[in-house]
Parts: sequence; structure tokens; C-alpha cells
Amino acid sequence: MRTEIGLLRTMLLIRRLEAAWAEAYARDEIGGIPPALSTGQEAVSAGACAALEPGDVVFTTHRGQAPQVARGLDPTRIMAELYGRRTGYNKGKSYHVTDVSRGVIGMGGIVAAQVPVAAGMALAQKLRGTDRVSLVFFGDGAANEGAVHESANLAAMWTLPLILLCENNGYCISQPVAVAVKAASIADRAAAYGLPGALVDGNDPLAVRDAVAAAVARARAGGGTTLVEARTVRLGGHLAHDPQHYRSREEIAAAWEACPIKRFRARLAAAGLLTEEASARMEAEIEAEIAAAVEFARQSPVPEPREAFEDLWA
Amino acid sequence: MSRFDRKLFRPGGAVKPEEREWPSIRGAINEAMREEMRRDPTVFQMGEDIAGAPPFGVTTGLAAEFGLERVRDTPCSEVAVVGAAVGAALGGMRPIVEFQFGDFLSVAIDQLTHQAALLRYLTGGQVRVPLVIRLPCGGGQGTGAQHAQSLYSWFAHAPGIKVALPATSLDAKGLMKAAIRDDNPVLFFEHKALYRTRWPVPPEFQDPDHVIPFGRAAIRRAGDDLTVVATLTMVHHALAAAEALAAEGISVEVVDPRTLVPLDRETIVGSVRKTGRLLAVDEAYLTCGIQGEILALVTERAFGALKAPPRRLGNPGVPVPFAPPLEDAVLPDAGRIAAAIRAMVTP
Repeated sequence: MRTEIGLLRTMLLIRRLEAAWAEAYARDEIGGIPPALSTGQEAVSAGACAALEPGDVVFTTHRGQAPQVARGLDPTRIMAELYGRRTGYNKGKSYHVTDVSRGVIGMGGIVAAQVPVAAGMALAQKLRGTDRVSLVFFGDGAANEGAVHESANLAAMWTLPLILLCENNGYCISQPVAVAVKAASIADRAAAYGLPGALVDGNDPLAVRDAVAAAVARARAGGGTTLVEARTVRLGGHLAHDPQHYRSREEIAAAWEACPIKRFRARLAAAGLLTEEASARMEAEIEAEIAAAVEFARQSPVPEPREAFEDLWA
Repeated sequence: MSRFDRKLFRPGGAVKPEEREWPSIRGAINEAMREEMRRDPTVFQMGEDIAGAPPFGVTTGLAAEFGLERVRDTPCSEVAVVGAAVGAALGGMRPIVEFQFGDFLSVAIDQLTHQAALLRYLTGGQVRVPLVIRLPCGGGQGTGAQHAQSLYSWFAHAPGIKVALPATSLDAKGLMKAAIRDDNPVLFFEHKALYRTRWPVPPEFQDPDHVIPFGRAAIRRAGDDLTVVATLTMVHHALAAAEALAAEGISVEVVDPRTLVPLDRETIVGSVRKTGRLLAVDEAYLTCGIQGEILALVTERAFGALKAPPRRLGNPGVPVPFAPPLEDAVLPDAGRIAAAIRAMVTP
């Protein structure tokens, strides 16, 4: 998935998988807490995960489906989890999907809580003498949590192989980042921790990939932690049911103009890397893949009540 | 009864000649961690000042033997350190975290109760989170309200956390070994007033594989008229009370659960079925405290065996004060335990 076409495919797969999730929620086919979608933010996960290798570990946020897809998790088992089925990765216990074998730890129930845990994974990677790294996603809202500040300082002090990836989508639920962060950027905070910081266009998967790849290379070589801020735009609401009354129509329309998938597809077409035909074929394949995932989820059994009492203790 | 005056637990007291060969609780915990770090290279430590200047001396000498990579002094960042322990545990390590005072765990409670405790469940059993957090606790030393609490009821209340409370040197060593080898998060509450106390031990204390399994209470003294369930210092206060009451013809059984999660319900219920009376004593705040859980357990399971209403002693719900006369006023002691027992067994 490191190729340009691979990145586009990942982004489309994220978009379509999440759309199917939101549609299932709108149809009342699944209930519970509404879907947290990454619509418009796909380039961040696609680009960042393209810079990783097996054995590296990512820690996700409440908006976690994008990195799950980008790390190659099986869409059928993701969808089954979102449907609350026992065939899901977490056996219906959490929509923060985890697949340890592919290095995805699903967190996000508590904003920023994944950041110190990722620092600990990086510590384990270092103490065990590996050259593997950890990458943790967190939002602009989470950036104001103490857990992030403490972890950044600890990671800096201990030279941990960690990438702090701030996925700045412009909003903390309804709060624009401009009224929650006084400084010009979150990346600038890196200097205060004694870390290198990078600000990248989060709607450009190649820019994200390259910035994260540089951070990963540094971490693998024993150079420690990097803070990367990827600026993107949330196109949907905080959760799928959010009508976004706090944003103007003009703002949302402008954001859709900057849609990373639209932009990247045009770029690849202009570069001669993607024909109309190839694009249509890719979309049809993804459509079929997601339809199969939904069908798998629908046909999967719900958990047995007794399973509520399992998996607490090791 | 004056032998168990709380002041005797205060630092600075001379070691009695007959106790010189006995291990202290502090030394027992140190020895357990040292042996486990020798046995298992994944065991490592994090905490404030634990390498450079261990506040209660529990980690003394470990940095010299194992180095600063495995005995890591941390910044004053409780959230990051507990979170790092969770992540390191996910990554195949077995971290031990020291808090200088257990009360400070309140700062990092989310990382414990929502992350360490829940991640295995939330991931459908994909991960294990083996970690130990060491929490100096308890009053009686004038350390003040934010350094003297016994907050294990908070965590026994939450799913996914084991809770150990050692009252003797043998238990301190054996329970710590069990805690380190456990694949779940364990809170290890160490009463500050007990650190320097020394207790006789059997030969198996020296056995590096002598582990005291969680969930098995110890009957510290057998008796027929009443069961006292107590932990940490209150075990020793209860034993002093029992000794005094024996002279009055009152026979008291003292049960030390040793771990609250898991709780040895069978031993507690079995004891009350025998004696017919229950007094639960702890420094914990009474409201929603562990004492109430023990009373509930017994009234649900052995109501018919009760000859008198069960009672509980504990901090009635005020901060643990700084000045010694105020502190003594809110914590149970041998005298109050004896008075409660007399009232319960007297027709």
C-alpha cells in the first residue's frame, strides 16, 4: 500500500467502509453510540501507516477505523465488530477495534489516554532491544490533555521510539481549534518538549507518509520521538448523527472542495498514474468488498450473554 | 494493649533484640522484587526517586544491581508513568510502579481503571496487562490527609484490578511475588506504619519460589465467639485486642483476607458460621468501604448463623488529620476494637 495507487485505494476503502457503517446506523441496523467517522481525514491514516512495517504498533483514537483499514485489517471483521457481533475483532466488546497481530491497539474511549500507553509500548520496544516503533494518533482536542504533555516529556527524556501524530481536524466536537489552542500550531509545542516537530498537510497522503517516514527512520535509529501535526478537515460531524449547526454551509462546502480523495485522485490522473477505467474498477472492487463485509456482519451471530462475563481476567 | 499503640509503628523505634533476625516488611518487599528481577528479565521498575533516593527505602540497592534501564527514575508524571506501565505490559514487559504515596494514584486513575483494567476485556481477550503498582498507604504517622488514606475500596469496586494488602513479612514477600507473576494489573498497598516492623518467618521465606496465592485468607488467631476481619495494621490491632479479651474469657478469631480482589469469601463466611458474630475493621472510609462489602457478604451468605448484628469500624468519613490527637480520633485501634467486641458478645 506504499504506492500512490495503494494509498488511494486505502483512502477509498476507509471512506466506503465508514459510509456503510453510517448507513447501517441510519437504518437502525446497528445501535448504540453513533459512528465516529474519519470522512475527510483518510489521508492521515493512509499516509502514516504506509510508513510503518510489521511489528510497529499504532494506537488509535475514537475515530479509529481509518488506521485499522490502513494497517490492513480485514474489513469483514471490522464491520462485524461495528455490528456488535462475536466474529468482530473484539468479539463485540468494543468498537475500538484491536488486532494485536497487525499492531493495532484500539483505544479512544477516553480522549488522550492512548498516548501514555503508546509511550509504554515504545519503552517495551526499546527495552527488548528491537528496532520497532510505536505511533499514536490523537486529535487537536486531545493535544490539550495533560496525558499528552506528560507523555511527550517522558518520551523525550527516555528517547523512546515513538511518533506522536496529532491529527488536527479543526474541531473538538463543536469547538474550533482556534478557540482551544492559543499557539499557531501544535507542532510548535515540540520545541518545548525538546523534540523535533513537523507540520504537514494532512490532506496529502504523500506528505504525511514522508513526514512520518522521516520520524520512523529517526526512531528506528535510536533518535527518539517526533511530534507530527497533520492538518486536515473533518467533513462530517463529530459523530454520524451530528448536524453540525455550529459550522456554516459555506465552510462545509469549502471543506468538501479540499476533500483529500478528490484531490489525490485528480493528482494521480494528471500524473498519468490513474485512468478513468482503473479508477472505476478500483471503486467497483471496493464496493464489492464492503458489501461482502456488511453481509458477513449481518450473518454473524451476536455474542451469547455468557460472553459478557468472559475476557476480564488473564 | 499498649504494645500495639500506633506510635510503636512510627519510625525511629529501636529494634528489639529478639526481632533482629526477623525480616522487615520493607526488606521482604525488596527481596521479592530483587528475586523476581533476577528470575525474569522482563520485570522492571518505574517511580519517582526509586533509583536515586528511595523515599521509604523499599527499592534500596535495586538500581545498583540492575542498572538504571530497569530501575527507572521518572519525572513527576503519574499519568504518563502508569500509562507507560500499561503500554510496556502490552509490549511483553512486567512493570512495577512505585507511588511515593498511594493517595497520588488519584492523579492517574483513568490509566488504571479504564486502561489497565479494561483493555483485556475491551479487546476480547487479545492482550494481557501484567503490572504492579506499589502504593504506600495508611494513617497513624501524621502525614496528613493527602498522604494517609487507605483507598483500596475505590479500586476493589472497579472491575479488572487485583488488590493485595500484606500485613506480615512473609505475606509481603509471597504476595509481591504473586503480584509480579500475575498477568493482570495488581495494586499492592503497603502500610507505611508497617514498613519497619519485623515479623518471624518460617524457612520457606528464603525459597525464591515461595508464592502466596491471591484469594486465600489467613486465620491469624483462632477463636469461637466472634470473627474480626481486618487488613494491614488493623490485623495487629485486632490481635492485640483478641489477646486482651482472652483474659476476659472472650475468644476472638482474626481473619486477614490478604487480598481484597480476589476475596476469599469461603474463609470469611466459614469463620462467621463458626463464631456467629462479625466485626470488620479497616482504616478505609466506612461509606461504600470494604468493611461494608464484608458485612454484605456475610449477611447474604450466613445470615442465619448470626447471633448479633454485624458491625464495622473504620474512618467515619473525615479526612485523616495531621495532628496526632486528631488522627487518633478517626482511626480504629486495639482499644476501640476491644470495646466493640465486648459490646457485641455481651448479652
